Amino acid sequence: MKKYLVFLVLVISLGVVLNSFLNSYIQAIFISFIVNAIMALSLNFITGLADQFSLGHAGLMAIGAYTSAVLNKEFFSDQWMLIPLGVLAGGLLAAVAGYLVSLPSFRLKGDYIAIVTLGLAEIVRVLLLNWKHVGGPRGYNAITKFPDFWYAYGFAIFLLFVTFMTMHRLKVSWFGRNLWAINEDDIAAEVMGLEIAKTKRYAFTISSFFAGIGGGFYSHHLGYISPGSFGFIISVQILIIAVLGGLGSLSGSIMAAAILTFLPELLRSVQAGSLDLRMIIYPILLILMMILRPQGLFGRKEIFEYVPKKIRAKLGMHR
Amino acid sequence: MQEFLQHTLNGLSIGSIYALLALGYTMVYGILGMINFAHSEIYMMGAFGAFYTARFLNLDTPSVLNFAIGLLGAVSFAAIVGFLVEKFAYKPLRKSPKMNVLITAIGVSILFQYGGQIIFGADPKSFPALIEDKNLFSLFDSPIHLTDLLIYFVSFASLGILSFIIFKTQTGRAMRAVSTRPDMTPLMGISNNKIISATFVIGSALAGVAAVLVSIKYPKIDPMMGVRIGMASFVAAVFGGIGSLHGAVVGGFLLGLGETYLIGYGASTYKDAFSFVILIIVLLYKPTGLFGQTRKEKI
Repeated sequence: MKKYLVFLVLVISLGVVLNSFLNSYIQAIFISFIVNAIMALSLNFITGLADQFSLGHAGLMAIGAYTSAVLNKEFFSDQWMLIPLGVLAGGLLAAVAGYLVSLPSFRLKGDYIAIVTLGLAEIVRVLLLNWKHVGGPRGYNAITKFPDFWYAYGFAIFLLFVTFMTMHRLKVSWFGRNLWAINEDDIAAEVMGLEIAKTKRYAFTISSFFAGIGGGFYSHHLGYISPGSFGFIISVQILIIAVLGGLGSLSGSIMAAAILTFLPELLRSVQAGSLDLRMIIYPILLILMMILRPQGLFGRKEIFEYVPKKIRAKLGMHR
Repeated sequence: MQEFLQHTLNGLSIGSIYALLALGYTMVYGILGMINFAHSEIYMMGAFGAFYTARFLNLDTPSVLNFAIGLLGAVSFAAIVGFLVEKFAYKPLRKSPKMNVLITAIGVSILFQYGGQIIFGADPKSFPALIEDKNLFSLFDSPIHLTDLLIYFVSFASLGILSFIIFKTQTGRAMRAVSTRPDMTPLMGISNNKIISATFVIGSALAGVAAVLVSIKYPKIDPMMGVRIGMASFVAAVFGGIGSLHGAVVGGFLLGLGETYLIGYGASTYKDAFSFVILIIVLLYKPTGLFGQTRKEKI
């Protein structure tokens, strides 16, 4: 219990610092960091643990974002109390979409899921572009926003906590071990009686659910979304965060999300003209990392696994 | 009838371009087992290769000779880029997990897209008129353009050269051998690395041909031009059965025709999603594609 108490105190004090000493710009960046972290966790679950390459997380995010935004604006009449309900619905719909997509993808060995998820993102984008009611290419405006910082902050931390804990528990459970077995050697796993396609399908559905949650939250955070906010480049950005943190390391994803959200903001002042230098730095980072340190910052391990055992035992962290 | 014929002719010309690009995807997949996401960017580089060749040599009058020079520029530039990409990005990862190679391929693809925007500029450039577009004759009242005929001719010639290389030469035999048993080929005195390089060079050269053919028909080129056509061609390769050369060609033509009919009879805004819908249907009902074979795995 002690560690959760420590965590809660830390979160509240960070919230106080953010709320009273820092301006709304930094607060907004902090919230985007949490969105990025949720998305990276979601991707890491399927790509890191199950070794299935998804290139369409932006599409799942878009499903969550549009579902939540439309629900809140059209049916809940802008009640900010009901935002969590919309976000949950967004997650569920994304999970349904993810499940449907996973049906054809895991029938063959190979990287078909990469291209099918890419296709999903593209199909979602095209449908949204053609859906006049939500603004088509102009985007969807005036979405219910969070009333104040504390609501947004608390809800974001809550979502991140739930996402992380769910995934971590799954990672150390029998299900996570199944995924690991498939990751290591799928033929051996099949011989041991694992239903490979089914396990991968479940993993992808869970991952999609959290991607939808992240998207739903994102729409209320910004108050404006358009099909362009969920392009291929967003999928790539999520991928880079997950890879940098280490595929399979959930806490690594959160760490990498922090680095890759705050660093570009710091570099904003040295940016050259209208060119987005990030899009040059990201791919170079990605290629160099794959050649020099393919396991990312933390590999498969969690950050706290690097803490010596004695200290961990004192803090009550057994795993 | 006239409209239908027109759509068919257009579909055949876009289909032959898909076929050329799908061959590049399928060859690399067959030999390395990876999706070469950078292939669409090599295609883009081919178009810019032809553009700069024409610019530096002042090829501003349309003629067959100038077209041939532009084509040569595109093919050699694309082949060099493909060779370098393989050498510096994929070769160091020959022994690492497939996931890492895929991530690298994505990285290379984005680097070329955005690096291209810095080097060439993000705005579309108008491709020089290497060949005059005129109506040669009419077939059932639908005009036959010179560019369309040229596209058919050049792509069929390239397909012929490719099938000669693959099925009649030593290199082609070695390529087929490496794609079947890469562990055995070194024992037969074949250098796998050289053969893989050759595969990339040939696939990239085909992408260069496709780039020039597209550019003379739609003379606007920009660094992002490869994204959509690349995805569609990849789908064509999967549709035909990835790893199968004949499949890639057939898949390319079928996809090109289908897409053109869809645009021709309304629904043009859904064009971008069409190829992926096809892909999902194919994976559902015939996951190996039209000509693909399932290989039994031996342990």
